Formats: sequence, C-alpha cells, structure tokens
Amino acid sequence: MRPRRALPLDGGRHDRPGLEELLRQVARGDRAAFEQVYDMVAAAVYGVALRVLRDPAQAEEIAQEVLIEVWRGAARFEASRGSGMSWVMTIAHHRAVDRVRSAQASIDREDRVARLEARRPYDDVAESVETTLEQERLRRCLNGLTELQRESVTYAYYGGYTYREVAELLKVPLATVKTRMRDGLIRMRDCLGVER
Amino acid sequence: MSSDPHTLAGAYAMYAVEDADERRAFEEHLSRCPECEEEARGLRETAARLGVAVAQEPPPGLRDRVMAEIGLVRQLPPILDPASAPGRRAAARRAWWPRAATGLAAACLAVAVGLGVVAVRANDALQQERLGGQRIAAVLAAPDAKTVTRTAGQGAKGTLVVSRSQGQVVFFSSGLAALPESRTYQLWRIGPGGAVPDRLTRPDTEGRTPPVVIGELGDATKIGVTVEPAGGSRQPSAPPLMVVPLPSA
Repeated sequence: MRPRRALPLDGGRHDRPGLEELLRQVARGDRAAFEQVYDMVAAAVYGVALRVLRDPAQAEEIAQEVLIEVWRGAARFEASRGSGMSWVMTIAHHRAVDRVRSAQASIDREDRVARLEARRPYDDVAESVETTLEQERLRRCLNGLTELQRESVTYAYYGGYTYREVAELLKVPLATVKTRMRDGLIRMRDCLGVER
Repeated sequence: MSSDPHTLAGAYAMYAVEDADERRAFEEHLSRCPECEEEARGLRETAARLGVAVAQEPPPGLRDRVMAEIGLVRQLPPILDPASAPGRRAAARRAWWPRAATGLAAACLAVAVGLGVVAVRANDALQQERLGGQRIAAVLAAPDAKTVTRTAGQGAKGTLVVSRSQGQVVFFSSGLAALPESRTYQLWRIGPGGAVPDRLTRPDTEGRTPPVVIGELGDATKIGVTVEPAGGSRQPSAPPLMVVPLPSA
C-alpha cells in the first residue's frame, strides 16, 4: 500500500514555501518553483480529470493542459481571492467538465440519461480500495448529507452534469436541485472544515 | 432563471450552471453582495476539496512532458487593474478585450477556438496545434494587440496581429487561391539577413488560412508568403506574392 501523500490540503501552509508563494515565483518564470507546484498539484489535477472523464488517456491529456495553463497563467492567480489549490482545481475541474460536455453534446438525450444513470460517482468514492485520509473524511462528510443533497453534489461535481441535467435525472424540480446543491455544499464546507 | 439568483451559489461553485446569461447574472449579484461573494468563495474552496480528495498518482511520463512543454509556452502578464472592489471582474474583462479590435479579435478567436476544438478531438499529434490555439487566442485578445493588413493581387489579404505583451505575432490571410496537393503556401520571416523559413499553411475552401503563430522574430521586419513544393523549402523559390510589414516599436 502506497503511503499517504502529503497533499497541501490547506494550500500547503505547513510547507515552506506555500503553494501561493510558489505560484508568485512561477509567475516570474521560475521553473524550479514550477516543479514544486507540479509535485503539489499534479495528483489532484489528474485525479479530478480522471474522475470526471473516466478515461485515463483523456484525463492525462487534460491534466497536461491544465498544468501548462498553471504555468502560463500563474500571474493571473490572486491570493486575495482564494487558495492556490482552489485556483488550480477550478481550472482542472472546468477543463475536464468542458471536455465531457463537448463529447456528450453529440449524444442524444435518452442515451445520455441512460449513461448518466449508469454512472455512480459517489459509489466510486465509497468503494475505492486505497483510501487516503482525505478520502475517508470526504466519505464521512458525504454520508452526513441527505440523499438528495449527496446526489446533487456528486452528480454535479464528479459527473460534470449541469443542475438542469441533475434535476432531470433525479426527477425533482429545478429549484429543489439548486437549493440542495447549495445547502449540500455548505454542509460539506462545514464538515470538511474549509477555511474561509 | 430564478427570482433569487443567490440559490445558484452551489451549482455555480460546481460549474453546473451552463447558461452564460444565468452565470453572468449570478456574478453581477455577487459583485453587489459582499456576503454572497464570501459564501461563493467558501464554496469554491469546498468544491476544490472534493477534487483533491480523489487525487491519483498521474502517469509517470506526464511530469517530463509538462516540464519540456513549459519551455515553449510564454507566460501571461498579470492583469493590471487599478479598480479593486465590486465590478472588478467586469473591469478586468473590459481591459482584457481591447474595444477597438474586439470585432476582429472575436472573429479570429472563433477560428482559434475552432482550432482548439478540432485538436481536442485528436490527441498527441495535435498537441502542438492546440497549444498554438491557446497562444493565438492570447495574442488576439491582448490589450496591446496591433494589426497590420496588406492586400496583394486578386483580393488576397494578409493580416499580422502583434502583441508586445505576449511577445508574439499571429498571421492569417484570406483570398488565397487553392493549391494542388503538391504545393503549399509558406511563410517567411524577412529581415536584413534574408528570409527565414516559417510555417506552412493552406487555405480552407473559402480561401482563408487559419491564424498561426510566427516563430522567433529576430531581426525580421516583415512576413512574406510564397508558394512552395509540398513540405516547404529552405529558401524561397520565388518572390513573395504577399508581404506584410511588422509594425515598428
């Protein structure tokens, strides 16, 4: 069993220098700083791409694109607006979801719903054999949600579905899905102890 | 669309709002509501944690490829935006899209984005193409982008877009005659030292060549276009059918 990776869950505040400072160095063209950034974020970037895309080849392609974008756009990172990790993960998640959506645009609606129903993003998290501490915590927090909150959050984040699609799939009104996504995520925030 | 945009905070943080107008309305709402902005920020951090929790060791070759590739990618400058509080993002967007060149840039951007999409469908072979697409988009959208257009006989038109902040030049053209498979258009960087071979390019069915990024400029003062045998030449085999000067500093 692989030892648990030291992921900078809080933006690397325990390490020196932190991800935010490293990104500032990267913005000035510092390749050595970028290597450290790579080591901090690559597994998370690849992981989220893989979870959303479910295809190692595409996930790798997206991860590469995202990491290059981190290099290219480091000057656009503003620490006042959030942690370095959330900046990187936002890029990664958006790219992966964009890829899924462009691929699915060609699939007709019924097919898509069938595929959607076949996808159980939460179960994957629960059944993952090798669990890190962070995964355990995530699972515990997800278990603290109502079923509808949990499904709304996991279909949206890990499945890449829009709230309209989630409403369609779960056969609940749009307003309900929006509300469940918000209160579900708020509960996750409080459970995970996200710093604000 | 909801009467209370605020309920969108969760969906927004998870990128589950696909309608651009709806997203924009929510962002405007955030800019007027500091507590909402604060909540949005906490939810964005939370969403990031959902991603971090599913981290997976990436394939071993990725690191080397990324490290090699960053050597080819020019970094973006920071957005210099004096305004700081509400509406800041809208201001940043305005600064990012030069007003005068917006129409042209948008049109070209559509082409560049199109290139990106095509490349996305394929994989490694088109990797460079896609990177090119990103660089092209950055040049065309740069606030300091300047364009120079020259026409040549029979409605052919070549355009250079130059951005000093991006340090790059993009060329595209229209009205070029179709060529047989055995021939290609080739670009040249022309300076006091002669012509340096650059990209090969082919027009689409409407005679337009897609935007391409020109290589290291060195002492080049203009970009020329010639017709060459497929595969390109090391020296131009005929005088250029079109020459576009680079704008001076």
